[in-house]
Amino acid sequence: MRICEVMDRDLTALSAETTLSEAIEILTRHRVSGLPVVDGAGRVVGFVSEKDIVKAALPGYFDYLQDPSFIPDYGQFQKRLKKIGKDPVSKIMAKEIVSFSEEDSDFYVAITLIRNHLKRAPVVRDGILVGVVNRADLLERIMLEEESPSFA
Amino acid sequence: MIVTVTLNPAIDEEYVVPEFRPGGWFRVSRVQRSPGGKGINVSLILKQLGVETAAMGFLAGFSGEYVRDVLRKAQITTNFLHVRGETRTNVYIVDEVGKVETGLAELGPYISEDEIARFLSNYERILKRTELVVLGGSLPPGVPQDFYCELIRLAKQREIPTLIDAAGAPLLAALDEGPTYAKVDQRFMATYEGVALNSLDNLIEAVQRVHSHGVEWVIASYRTYGNVFCTHEGVFLAEFDRKGIVSMFGSGEALIAGLILGGQERMETKDRIVFGMAAALENALHVEKGIRDRAAVERQIPRIRFERLL
Repeated sequence: MRICEVMDRDLTALSAETTLSEAIEILTRHRVSGLPVVDGAGRVVGFVSEKDIVKAALPGYFDYLQDPSFIPDYGQFQKRLKKIGKDPVSKIMAKEIVSFSEEDSDFYVAITLIRNHLKRAPVVRDGILVGVVNRADLLERIMLEEESPSFA
Repeated sequence: MIVTVTLNPAIDEEYVVPEFRPGGWFRVSRVQRSPGGKGINVSLILKQLGVETAAMGFLAGFSGEYVRDVLRKAQITTNFLHVRGETRTNVYIVDEVGKVETGLAELGPYISEDEIARFLSNYERILKRTELVVLGGSLPPGVPQDFYCELIRLAKQREIPTLIDAAGAPLLAALDEGPTYAKVDQRFMATYEGVALNSLDNLIEAVQRVHSHGVEWVIASYRTYGNVFCTHEGVFLAEFDRKGIVSMFGSGEALIAGLILGGQERMETKDRIVFGMAAALENALHVEKGIRDRAAVERQIPRIRFERLL
């Protein structure tokens, strides 16, 4: 099956100048974990996920901690998050992104998402955003396919 | 791509309550829930006719999620801005026994200046690959009354045709900007430039005035089952009789969708009007909003009476 049958044809996106605090607001309001970043023509130039924002706000030494449980509260994290809130998303967005075309097969998309540890990825036509594909939607579709009579 | 703009979408809830009267307590015998708002309806009907559109506007809360979900399942491209609050619900209570319909309409969520600015940047981005903009319905609180003017102006700058289906002050303001198509709902507009829209002659005068303001196609409802069309080829009246009609709910949007399809297929003016009216009639033949399919619309074509008025 082609991915255009499963994809979400939603064009919600950020621009490179969107601030991180605005990006957080849009992510929460739209209840998604990540959004494509597009230019004025709708061309995909990056992708920002909540994971990227968390990573940017964590103190530099965090990666070196074996066990973060002794950190008393999220005070430092909050301070850094507020500090980077005015930064544009272009500063932290992933610029080398995985994207798909509407003609890609669902199997190819599933494998690529798993390999790259991605939950969501943009679908493009001539570089222009036409929708997004979600891992959860693919899972649901694969689950339903097993039950379809054509497999019996 | 065709873009439909619904600034104040809704969930339309239709409750069927036999012998409904105020002050009573009733069991609902049937309820029908569907996403509403003129632009969204046009998107849904065009999809049934096989035409792709992108729907945009503002959505909020659980009701907003529901609207988005239905559009998503219909595989319609969406670019809504999700805002605080709750997308409105319009309640219709239909009493099949007493043949009375009662309606309750909410205002919709408040839209802040920031959100309007964000919407405009999405709108300008999508205009770069748009062939027609359809603007429809009321404005939510916070959105200026002349907002449709701005949307028409931005489309005109890029030579993109626009269609507006609205009423009252937002429509009057928009007409000044000269949209390509305007649908005037006479039920919500008693007068235009001092002319009372109570007779066919007055209605013809009003549509001609709107036409002279630079609107290429003016469509005005005439009585319950008819429309007057003013184009550069003349003034026409198209009507159908009430046989088999269940609910006119959504028929205005079916007419628009039919006219758009006719335009895309470069139909002659008469064929285009008749096809649009057939879509409106097909929509009215069942409780569910929307049309069954193109073949069902074409079956209604012989029922449309078409005449040239001028």
